[in-house]
Amino acid sequence: MRITCPHCGARDAQEFSYLGAADLARPDGMAASEAAMVDYVYLRDNPRGRHRELWYHGAGCRAWLVVGRDTFTHAVISVEPAKRHAGGAA
Amino acid sequence: MAETATSWLPRGAWAGVAEPGAFGATGEAGIVATLHDGFGLATLIAGPGAAPALSRLVEARLGIALPRTPRIVLGRGHDAIWTGPEQWWLRAAARDGLLPLLDELSAHAAVSDQSHARAALRLSGPRVRDLLAKGVMLDLHPAVFAVGDAAATSIAHVGVQLWRLADGPDGPVFEIMVPRSMAGSFWSWLAASAGAFGCIVADAAK
Ligand SMILES: [Zn+2]
Repeated sequence: MRITCPHCGARDAQEFSYLGAADLARPDGMAASEAAMVDYVYLRDNPRGRHRELWYHGAGCRAWLVVGRDTFTHAVISVEPAKRHAGGAA
Repeated sequence: MAETATSWLPRGAWAGVAEPGAFGATGEAGIVATLHDGFGLATLIAGPGAAPALSRLVEARLGIALPRTPRIVLGRGHDAIWTGPEQWWLRAAARDGLLPLLDELSAHAAVSDQSHARAALRLSGPRVRDLLAKGVMLDLHPAVFAVGDAAATSIAHVGVQLWRLADGPDGPVFEIMVPRSMAGSFWSWLAASAGAFGCIVADAAK
């Protein structure tokens, strides 16, 4: 699998580290129920198909990226710097 | 502060790792590896929103522009190498005078002196692309990787920065920098990979 880093160009996936889903919303820790926090910290969907996820280009430019990927075909659909998203890099 | 007496001696990054000479196949050498030392090096990471100001200051002081894509910009005595978004290496031909310059640049950037932290070498020779193809996952074909292009990647699991200089009499010329503590690992890859082509190891200072 290759990921086209918006900064570095197309690179082998082994240059990157995978973090996980890109769009988790952290509940308000003081107000949220225990179940909501457990869900946020531990429970992940395992979709077959399109997924948005965080990858770190550790062997390249050291930027966090949001990668849109098909988990069934491994096709990379989109790559953009995570910095562009509200809240900055993970 | 008084000077502390010490028996420590300066030691080049390649000392005990690579020695000038030749190894591998005999006949015309396919690879020339030139070991570099004594250069100054610093990382510049622009502060939030400060990249334009940093760029202007570097241009005013050194006459070089900070590249915004993975490139090296060569100047007279100082070169700027892209290492990531709004991050660069500043390489100085000599270490003298580097610290006051870095002090000045720190107005707009997080600056860290890395002069002793990298081992650098220049690779040339008619088989240099064949050698690099054994370790670099990037396409270094001249149609893709032009003179002045730079990349951060890895060779044999060692993080490297590499770039292409103007062609020499033997064809393409690359420079590679590796963390000093990884120079031995990097060299064991190079020694194993270049032997088939015949390799001359030269010392840039001599
Ligand atoms: Zn990158």
